[in-house]
Amino acid sequence: MYLMAEFADKDSAAAAIEGLKTRGLTAGDLDVFSTEPVEFAPGVLDRPSRMSLVAVAGAATVGVGAVGFVYYTQHSYNLITGGMPTFSFWATGVVFYELAMLGAIAATFLWLLHEGGFLRRDRNAPVPVVEPGSICLRVRCDADLAETGTRLYEAGAVRVEKLK
Amino acid sequence: MAAAVTIPSDRIRADLWRPLSGAGSWYVAAVVVTGLLVAWGLFAWGYQIHTGIGVVGKRRPVMWSFYITNFVFWIGISHAGTLISAILRLTHAGWRRPVTRAAEAITVFALMIGGLFPLIHLGRVGIFYYLIPYPNERMLWPNFRSPLVWDLTAIFTYITGSVIYLYLPLLPDLADLARHSTGPHRTIYRLLSLGWTGSDREWHALERAQKLMAGMILAVAVSVHTVVSWDFAMAVAPMWHSTIFGPYFVTGAIFSGIAALIVVMAIIRRGMHLEAYLEPVHFDNLAKLLLLMCLLWAYFTTAENLTVWYGNEPSEMVVFGERVRGTYAPLFWAMVILNFVVPFVLLGIRRLRTIHTAVISAVGVLVGMWLERFLIVVPTLARPRLPAAWGTYSPTWVEVSITVATFAAMALLYLIFSKLVPIIAVWEYKHVSDG
Repeated sequence: MYLMAEFADKDSAAAAIEGLKTRGLTAGDLDVFSTEPVEFAPGVLDRPSRMSLVAVAGAATVGVGAVGFVYYTQHSYNLITGGMPTFSFWATGVVFYELAMLGAIAATFLWLLHEGGFLRRDRNAPVPVVEPGSICLRVRCDADLAETGTRLYEAGAVRVEKLK
Repeated sequence: MAAAVTIPSDRIRADLWRPLSGAGSWYVAAVVVTGLLVAWGLFAWGYQIHTGIGVVGKRRPVMWSFYITNFVFWIGISHAGTLISAILRLTHAGWRRPVTRAAEAITVFALMIGGLFPLIHLGRVGIFYYLIPYPNERMLWPNFRSPLVWDLTAIFTYITGSVIYLYLPLLPDLADLARHSTGPHRTIYRLLSLGWTGSDREWHALERAQKLMAGMILAVAVSVHTVVSWDFAMAVAPMWHSTIFGPYFVTGAIFSGIAALIVVMAIIRRGMHLEAYLEPVHFDNLAKLLLLMCLLWAYFTTAENLTVWYGNEPSEMVVFGERVRGTYAPLFWAMVILNFVVPFVLLGIRRLRTIHTAVISAVGVLVGMWLERFLIVVPTLARPRLPAAWGTYSPTWVEVSITVATFAAMALLYLIFSKLVPIIAVWEYKHVSDG
């Protein structure tokens, strides 16, 4: 069961979020919808991210994989070079750099899809149609609907709806 | 940004969406003209493939000519968007918002066009993949250490990053367009928006991704033009084998990129009636950046030429002489006037710095930077160390047609793009107005 509350400004939305958190709701139960990004003060509705770490991991994986691939290709070519090296560290360094960056970029994009919820969207969760300038707070709660609704109004909601 | 705050939120969307519907006679005429030029260029390319690479003017010893000049030029233009947008994003420059999407689109289109030139240059384009050394199952043993392999990886990374960097801030606008469209447009916009709902999780993820991407794309953009410069600098050829070629090329790329951005913005402003959004302050700031890059370019050009002249190494002096007082002197001095004298005077004197003079300077810089690329590529090849191998170069109608067609292709791609999505990010602009 969901409650949908509409707010005219971000301060009242933040007050509602703080109030709901004191009632035991977590950030996972709350979603804010808006047509433009809404920046709350730190601690109101933080969304911890591992995107930087994932980008570094992507860079390391693809970069090292690329160097391995280049090394394998150059050494698997059965040319008699009279003992001269076929693998060049410096020349491969540029390939490593570029492909490491490619790995970081691809990992960032894929993690955006994951972290933004594009890949694991709950089809049953209702999505509000937000008018420009307003802020909608979606609350997942299974009990105390009336009490939660009252709290939302007290915080400054202009409208509260019950949605299944 | 003071004027932007006065525009009501509803009007912003209406204004920025207006160009998406309907097409005026000027728009249709522009599409027809650029489309015909692109068709002519494709015909010329087809003729070259069918008849053979001998129909172009490149001959021994000048085996890199118009096509490689165009390659370097367009890769340079690509620095307009992603790099400039990334710098302005990382420095929190608020005035960037009406500028970024227009700039990022230039990057993607310029890379698409620039990336074609190595293929056009090859002649037998159908077997271009023979040049890719990895995994080398054809056992051709191409040069594993060739800087051309670096080009391939650098440009592939850059175009991938640039497309994503352009796409990310499009998501909210695409979702908004899907909500207000009907028929197939709605389906396409909805698919492209990936089901964007405007939740705070999405906004947070988008913001983080944009910041990270800005940092990464900056590193990639610098590396791309450095790698392009190393195509030349790694060869022990007169006036190519230079340690400053990397930063010299990056500076030139940003210089020409800003010039391209000013020209495109001026056309958008006039053509789409976006005077309230692309304000004089945006042109003024970009003009100042152009002036800064003009000075940097002059510094590098002086450093490059002065050390050659002072060193007086015979084979380098031959190329130097050809450039400054020989066959290529008119092009060289035209380059100096267009890249330094004109922008320095028009943009350096505050009273003269207007939208018009910024556009005049920018057009001059674009021509000047194309000449610079030509002067780097051709004279060195025409005057190799062995005098018996000296040669000349003049382009044929095929090369000229393909070159002209690429400029038309850029315009055509932009015309199409401007009909599909708002050329200014609506949500970003509204965010500024609200803020």
